[in-house]
Amino acid sequence: MTRLPPQDGERVDREREVTFTFDGREVTGLEGDTIGSALFASGRRTFSRSFKYHRRRGLMCCAGQCPNCLVQVDGAPGVRACTEPVQEGMEVEHMNARPSLEFDAMRATDLFGGPFTPPGFYYKTFIRPRRLWPLYEKILRHAAGLGKVPKEQAEREWRTEYRRRHADILVVGGGAAGLSAAIAAAELGADVVLADEGPEPGGRLLAEGNHARARELTARARDLGVELLTSAPALGAFDGLVPVWERDTLHQVRAQRIVYATGAIEQPLLFPGNDLPGVMLSGGAVRLATLYGISPGSRAVVATVDDRGLEAAVALLARGVEVATVADLREHGNSDAMKQLMRQGVHVLRGATVLQAEGRSSLQRVTLGPPGAGEGGAGEHELTCDLLAVSGGSAPATSLLAQSGARTRYDERLGHFVLSEMPEGAHAAGEVAGSGSLFEAERSGAVAGAGAAHELGFGDDESRARVETERKTVLNSRDGMPEVAVPPAVTSSRRGKCFACLCEDVTAKDIHLSVEEGYDSIELSKRYTTTTMGPCQGRMCQLPAVRLMAEETGTSLADVGTTTARPPWHAVPMGALAGRPFEPAKRSSMHARHRELGANVLWAGDWRRAYDYGDPRAEALAVHETAGLIDVSTLGKLIVRGPDAGELLDRLYPNRFSNLAPGRIRYGVMASDAGRIMDDGTICRLDDDSFYVTTTSSGAGAVYQWFSWWLADWRLNVHLTDVTQGLSAVNLAGPRAREILASLTDLDCSAEGFAYLDGKRADVAGVPCLLLRIGFVGEVGYELHFPSAHGEHLWDALMEAGGPLGLRPFGLEPQRLLRLQKMHILVGQDTDSESTPFGAAMPWIVKLDKEQPFIGKWALEKAASGELETTLVGFRLADGHVPTEGAVVLPDGDGPVGQVTSARFSPQLGGVIGMAWVPVSLAKDGASVTISDEGRRLQAEVVTKPFYDPDGEVLRS
Amino acid sequence: MSYEFLTPAPTALARSPMERQALAAGARLEQRDGWNVAVAYDGEPPERGRCAATAGFADRSHLGKVELQGSHGLPLGQATRRDDAWWCPFTPEKALVLCEPADTATLLERLEGTFPTVVDLTSALAALTISGPLAREVFARFTAIDLRDSATPVEGFRPGSVGRTPGAILREAGESWLMLFGAALGSYMWTVVADAAESLGGGPVGVDALAVANA
Repeated sequence: MTRLPPQDGERVDREREVTFTFDGREVTGLEGDTIGSALFASGRRTFSRSFKYHRRRGLMCCAGQCPNCLVQVDGAPGVRACTEPVQEGMEVEHMNARPSLEFDAMRATDLFGGPFTPPGFYYKTFIRPRRLWPLYEKILRHAAGLGKVPKEQAEREWRTEYRRRHADILVVGGGAAGLSAAIAAAELGADVVLADEGPEPGGRLLAEGNHARARELTARARDLGVELLTSAPALGAFDGLVPVWERDTLHQVRAQRIVYATGAIEQPLLFPGNDLPGVMLSGGAVRLATLYGISPGSRAVVATVDDRGLEAAVALLARGVEVATVADLREHGNSDAMKQLMRQGVHVLRGATVLQAEGRSSLQRVTLGPPGAGEGGAGEHELTCDLLAVSGGSAPATSLLAQSGARTRYDERLGHFVLSEMPEGAHAAGEVAGSGSLFEAERSGAVAGAGAAHELGFGDDESRARVETERKTVLNSRDGMPEVAVPPAVTSSRRGKCFACLCEDVTAKDIHLSVEEGYDSIELSKRYTTTTMGPCQGRMCQLPAVRLMAEETGTSLADVGTTTARPPWHAVPMGALAGRPFEPAKRSSMHARHRELGANVLWAGDWRRAYDYGDPRAEALAVHETAGLIDVSTLGKLIVRGPDAGELLDRLYPNRFSNLAPGRIRYGVMASDAGRIMDDGTICRLDDDSFYVTTTSSGAGAVYQWFSWWLADWRLNVHLTDVTQGLSAVNLAGPRAREILASLTDLDCSAEGFAYLDGKRADVAGVPCLLLRIGFVGEVGYELHFPSAHGEHLWDALMEAGGPLGLRPFGLEPQRLLRLQKMHILVGQDTDSESTPFGAAMPWIVKLDKEQPFIGKWALEKAASGELETTLVGFRLADGHVPTEGAVVLPDGDGPVGQVTSARFSPQLGGVIGMAWVPVSLAKDGASVTISDEGRRLQAEVVTKPFYDPDGEVLRS
Repeated sequence: MSYEFLTPAPTALARSPMERQALAAGARLEQRDGWNVAVAYDGEPPERGRCAATAGFADRSHLGKVELQGSHGLPLGQATRRDDAWWCPFTPEKALVLCEPADTATLLERLEGTFPTVVDLTSALAALTISGPLAREVFARFTAIDLRDSATPVEGFRPGSVGRTPGAILREAGESWLMLFGAALGSYMWTVVADAAESLGGGPVGVDALAVANA
């Protein structure tokens, strides 16, 4: 029987069975089991196949640290079986083995492919013959990777959340130290969040049978209001932000202080066969027995370098597991655990370690002996067993601390890297800080938690004094850490693969080869061999790799150092990182009406706009023949108010605005410091101190910032208000626009009463409006700007009044055609970052004689005195082909000298028209240019005046 | 020329940018002070229950919102309740005053003579109140603004990013927060808030139930 008799504090409920499937076969576990413990209890020993060699891998750490038990659960790959709780009906599948987990054809890589699969083999072995690389690549890509993502999009999606959580203190790790830290901080009044990887807080307390204490501390923390996040690993540390992944939620925890109680990670030993199922970390074996009541083996051998392994042997014995022999690398030592083992008659080999593990599908025998021994050396012991519990020492889990700025140094005595420098705002407690025993861990946690709270102003003088005393005790206790024997990089010189990195199947020999090939620093070797880059993120392989590098390069471990710690510290699904998608879309107040009218809606900057209503040409013709109505609410709109408003605009634009009469409108092109066109729009003077500025739709935000920036610099007496979203706007244009408008307002809409470029205030259909008589589309037109809350009301009123007169809505596409007929530019389409007003054929807008210095003046003076190379002109095409925007202009059929920026077929004009940048020498009416477009050569005739109503008579009528 | 074209007029019906979403969620609309207001959804008892047990959100875009520029002397980070209006400072020189829609005209008139620039932003900003014990959790799904008691006490005012757009949050009462954001983003923000609230068991509530719940 794999299940032991009920264990005190075990996590499973023996009364409640849970049934799930593994590779389609039914498995019955117990409530509280993990997938790993349930499968192990059912007799399974092979859980996965290794990444490269497809070797059998079994449970090793039982704590979510190693990559050995990765499985696919309900379609989600990369789930750690040893920590994932079983659920009724769950479908579990193996990964990385074909056709089955028990018989994997790719195992041939291990048996025969060794010489062909050194580090970076895909760049070495598969480069000749070169023509076969596509085939190799296909095979390699097929073989690489773990798990399969479901093919259907719907099966890949699940709800994920971001949750932003501010806290005074975040405690990472819910073991004895973490719980104590949280309690101490909360007792002082701090708002505390605790994040723990395990399904319940307790850490080693639970694993080592101190469940009562774990649950007592957990209850205390909960009572104090600590927010406990379980099955919630912290993924990284980013300048005050710690992402914590809890199933479907990614908590973005922003804490003023962080206590890292991340513990220490038990390390493996390197010897031939160190990856066989049955070779476990001693902590993993104890966890199986203690938490799940499972015997990890029937006959165990323990190999250790410190007391941790001895304590594991004692624990296994206590649970009825036969411990055949314990190999302790230390020559001396007489700890309590050692005394207990002696008392129980366990055979202990001092100064010995494991030299080899052997077995077919799982462990069958081990050889123990002095480290470094080869085949048949003196003092060797061969033992049959089905469990080898290994403890190669521990490594403090400093990765998150390192990410937050902590530094480490190598400690010769302890044989691992310890914290040497802490960043501001961070505290460490428990094993990660060197407090090894549970008692010391609790005490150090309390000191760290209270210390963090004190830094935030919680507590009083008395609590500070008490914690200071405790802190000294904690520091003193760290000096008395038990003795550890530092193991050699590889324990024996016997033949066989010794795995340094279980995730990526990197052997000790691979590290040797990487150094031979010149990758002789830990960072280079990491990139070449991919050691520490797998799912364990260095938990199992960082220290062994450093030891191997030190040995290979003849340097000290301190000089080799560690690799840079980077997030994520824990494997996490991409979907959890992505969170819920936010796609801020602006919609005008009339958007629903456009939808109802059948508009094709597209993105235009950050707005959703009606592109057309199904027939853009007919919509454009309606504007010429009767009237059209377009929603132009997306225009940027600013109120510029103050005694210096005119001066501000004079400084920002190349033309003048301070002399603009109230109630009049002027077009403006805004230039950068370099004299390049940034934006354009119209400006209406509302009164002596107020202007209403419109900008392009996409430039609204940038123009507001540009205004604000210069206003702050010039300290003019002006206030800006962005009313873009507060005002909707429509453009009513066409021969019958006046008639339609007049039917809804008392305003004198005659040509004399409301002239071209007049701006007036009036109510239209009961809605207060600012009316601008401008003509972007070339016909008599009125832009109505009004409170967006009345959007639908005014749209409906205009459509109702105009319907009998032939009014129809038109969208963005017909507007583009109409403005092209007038050769009105679109900034960003007909201009680019190098275009000046001179090049864009608008020299009249630059007032170099303006008394007021203005942005870009110097550059525009230079441009005015120099020779233009190209300029913007219109063109007609005779053959009916509409060139692509961006098509190349070839003056003599040789060498590009310009490009087409806009082109459309105009039903009004009966031909193709466009705008293009051409050499200045060709910028004259009737000149011929060649346009090269997707292999076709088109002869175009240059036009320098608007195609439609060139003298603006219609516009002004 | 006056700024009247910025202010919704009682002579025409004013609509919230979230009206369509509210209707789709079952809202009953009533005209109040010239606005179509979502006054109720599935009835007052369940809506009050939502505000008491989880989180209810109500469209309050009809509130008057007046921006003033000039030295106002209001303490930053905190809204001040004065003359039946919330005075919410963004900077030492800029503040937003929130009032009942019927009071907007009077407020504008009063402020015009006091501050150099006064602009009616009623139509520029949409407003949602999220109320209930899980309201903070709803906010946590789309904003990083710290709404804990220590950071945002009652009457606290926090401009910042909401749903990846510029906005501001005013804590009107114990578990009731008023969120302001661009009107053109109304439809988008409704979906963001509704998605977050509904995942936590909350949902839309009418302004009538909200008023009772917050009374």
